[in-house]
Amino acid sequence: MFFGHRRPLLPLFPLKSIQSSISFAFSILILATIAVTSFISYRLSVDAVEQNATGYVEEIIKQVNSNIQSYVDNMENISLLAMTNKDVKYYIADNSFISAEERRVYEKRISDLFQAILYTRQDIASIMVFGYNDRFVSDRRITSLNPNVRPEDTPWFKSAKEAKGRSVISAPHVQNIIKNEYRWVVSLSRELRSTDGIMPEGVFLVDLNMSVINDMARQINLGNKGYVFIVDDEGNLVYHPQQQLIYSGLRTELIDEVNAAASGTSFAAGGRDGKRIYSVQDTSFGWKIVGVAYTDELMANKSAIRKSIFYYALFGLVVALALSVLLSHQLSRPIKNLQKDMKLVEKGNFDIKTPIGQMNEIGQLGRTFNMMVGQIKNLMEDAILTQEQKRKSELQLLQSQINPHFLYNTLDSIIWMAEQKKHEEVVLMTSALAKLFRASISKEKEIVPIRVEIEHIKNYLIIQQMRYNSQLDYKLDISPSILPYRSLKILLQPFVENAIYHGIRNKPEKGLITIRGFEQDGNIVFEVEDDGLGMSEERLAALWSAGESESSPGGSGRGIGISNVNERIKLFFGEAYGITIRSELEVGTTVTITIPKIE
Amino acid sequence: MRTRRLSIILTVMTVVLILYAVFYTRLAGVTSWVGVTGSETKSIIVILKSSNVRSDFWQAVKGGVDAAAKELGVETVVQSPLLETDADTQVTLLDEAIKRKPHAIVVAPINDYRMADKLEQVRKAGIKLVLIDNPIPLDPPPVSVANDHLKAGRLAGATAISMTGGHPKVAIISDNVDANASNARKSGIEQALLAYPNGVYGTYYCLDSKQRAYLIAKSLLSGSQPQFNTFVTLTESATLGVAQAIEETGMAGEMKLIGFESSIDEIQLLESGVLGATLVQRPFNLGYLALKTALRDIDGGDVETTTLIDSTVVNRMNMYSAENQKLLFPFSEK
Repeated sequence: MFFGHRRPLLPLFPLKSIQSSISFAFSILILATIAVTSFISYRLSVDAVEQNATGYVEEIIKQVNSNIQSYVDNMENISLLAMTNKDVKYYIADNSFISAEERRVYEKRISDLFQAILYTRQDIASIMVFGYNDRFVSDRRITSLNPNVRPEDTPWFKSAKEAKGRSVISAPHVQNIIKNEYRWVVSLSRELRSTDGIMPEGVFLVDLNMSVINDMARQINLGNKGYVFIVDDEGNLVYHPQQQLIYSGLRTELIDEVNAAASGTSFAAGGRDGKRIYSVQDTSFGWKIVGVAYTDELMANKSAIRKSIFYYALFGLVVALALSVLLSHQLSRPIKNLQKDMKLVEKGNFDIKTPIGQMNEIGQLGRTFNMMVGQIKNLMEDAILTQEQKRKSELQLLQSQINPHFLYNTLDSIIWMAEQKKHEEVVLMTSALAKLFRASISKEKEIVPIRVEIEHIKNYLIIQQMRYNSQLDYKLDISPSILPYRSLKILLQPFVENAIYHGIRNKPEKGLITIRGFEQDGNIVFEVEDDGLGMSEERLAALWSAGESESSPGGSGRGIGISNVNERIKLFFGEAYGITIRSELEVGTTVTITIPKIE
Repeated sequence: MRTRRLSIILTVMTVVLILYAVFYTRLAGVTSWVGVTGSETKSIIVILKSSNVRSDFWQAVKGGVDAAAKELGVETVVQSPLLETDADTQVTLLDEAIKRKPHAIVVAPINDYRMADKLEQVRKAGIKLVLIDNPIPLDPPPVSVANDHLKAGRLAGATAISMTGGHPKVAIISDNVDANASNARKSGIEQALLAYPNGVYGTYYCLDSKQRAYLIAKSLLSGSQPQFNTFVTLTESATLGVAQAIEETGMAGEMKLIGFESSIDEIQLLESGVLGATLVQRPFNLGYLALKTALRDIDGGDVETTTLIDSTVVNRMNMYSAENQKLLFPFSEK
């Protein structure tokens, strides 16, 4: 197609071994999992803690709210008490029933009443009644008003008048109505009316010590930096621990947001110095109480959570990594074993049988591998066998070939003897030759009884002796006990041939060839000994190797080499058997042939 | 072969761990991680002039210090001699403070000949130094947070102009010739009245004595027709003495009086109208900003050498406004 030249895909993991690839993949997977889970669990626990913290702040602010509410309710109750008190009513009523003397009595009674209330309530700073008839009573016996302040001009007086009988809560202010007294108070003021509820007759005032609220707000524990503040319905600060800083603009407060927030809700605000939670509660009289807490303080354990999650995750990571290395090792081990066995096969050991663990892919691979190795081994053995067979028949063929020179020479000898009319010799030689040939071309088995072999060599020697009659003598010394055993066909002939051609033919005097056959160490040993010229080492080596390059046309041309015979013995009987040659110049050569005893 | 494999595994593990750390910091936003563990609580020792609970000014300064300490999460110790004149105790306190090796010392030094050496010693000890209302010359100039007396003086001058309908003739009653604060106030007044011929009638020194101020005022008022229409008294004692003289001669309202600072007596004079206006400082801000400045100095932030704090003009009309109430009555009981 068109994209035939696509580049090979890059491997997913550019690492060399499967184990490292697997551990790498595992590690990445584990990392991602742990990172995600620890992040999520961190978020979740932080959210949970944050929610708890918010709930805690809301609860505290609710408490503050109800406390302040109870103070205000108390003031309200006191005002109701005053309103319904007959003495107060009479005292400020715009009539002339009360004479100057009686006035003192009334004043004392009212003052006693106020004082009694004041004794029970530490949070109340003062209680006063101002009649529109210019009379006033306070909780003190002797009250001197601030000469520079007219009650009618004060904000609490004015707003009480405006409210027409409803009670009014002022913002915290300094109460300066009494001479030499300047206290921070929250005032509740209320216009008192005649019994019929139509005629306004005076203003009643209860002052709550601001310190009560201050102390309460200060004692609230919202962490080191957390605090409580109060705003009124117009958004003015009623109480703030840093009111002065806000007035002078050194600090700002989220008053707009607080005004917008519904009662009982919380909102979070960020800031230079950390995230804050604002918890807002409305009171019934218009104030909003706000708790501000810094999340990092409420969640002192936030960093602890972070730390512990970090350490747990780290621990898990290390364990998981170790596991991944172990697991990948476990997974890749059968592959590695297989690989090792393959290496051995590569080196030529076909006896390997790789152990098969589980029947998974690798097990199947191992089984197939084993089958393959087995088959290769069989094939190899077959090949060797075939090769041996081939070689054997080759050698057999060689063996059975009749050396043409030998034939010509023998025939020449026969002709020559016939011309000499030596009939008996001719008959002898011809019959020996015939036997020789019969033996060599016989389709008989390769293995023949030793008797036959001896017969054969005897015929051969008869012919050779007749040819070299003056030069050659021979002696057969065969132990009769070995005769029934078997031997290779035409085993001895090549050595006798060698002894004649190399040892005796060129010797001036008559040579003797001795052939022995006997049993030794459970084997059968033949010895072909001549007393000919003997061979030098080089010649001997050449003789060995001549067989190797047997097919070379430039060879001595004499049929079979010693090495071929040796090979033939080994092929038939095994590596333990074969030929040794001992030769000494001017002394002679002895060839020892060892074969097994075969029935 | 074996070692190579080991090294591969180790590399993989290291890479994974690093990745994990990066992931973690990224995901969880642990930017403050290092900061949280690295920042120990800062300690600051504050030495004021007076620990007297009746001294509203220094109590308010302390309030500001406490507010800042709470807000900033700083460990603060406030120590002061009982009396504003007790230089010996203040020096001893400074010595002890240096030994304790805090991150910073905030001090409102009492004017004393030993003070310059002591403050130098603080700096040599490697402790950050912030001065409140510093009258002591050091080289290089120390970081200080101070009331802007010059500006307060100018405000007083401006108030005199408006109170006299643009014809100010001012008699200044100061305390001492060598009082830094008073001299600054005085030059502020002079600057404000520069455009008015005979704007400043004269300057008198009462040596911080109410009695002396009373006598000076009395003698100035005893003439048939005073050549000035306004007293500007630079200290509380002067204000009270002059006010007494004005009341006695029945010239309240006619003879304007402009004071400095605030006290119950001055408040009552404001209410009664004898004292036309007073220039009130913001001691809470002073303490708050001093501590904040000290902390910024510790943290190595930019710090202005001198932070000046304005005063406010308080008169009978605005004295009970929400803001001024807080200034005049910093505490709930009086």
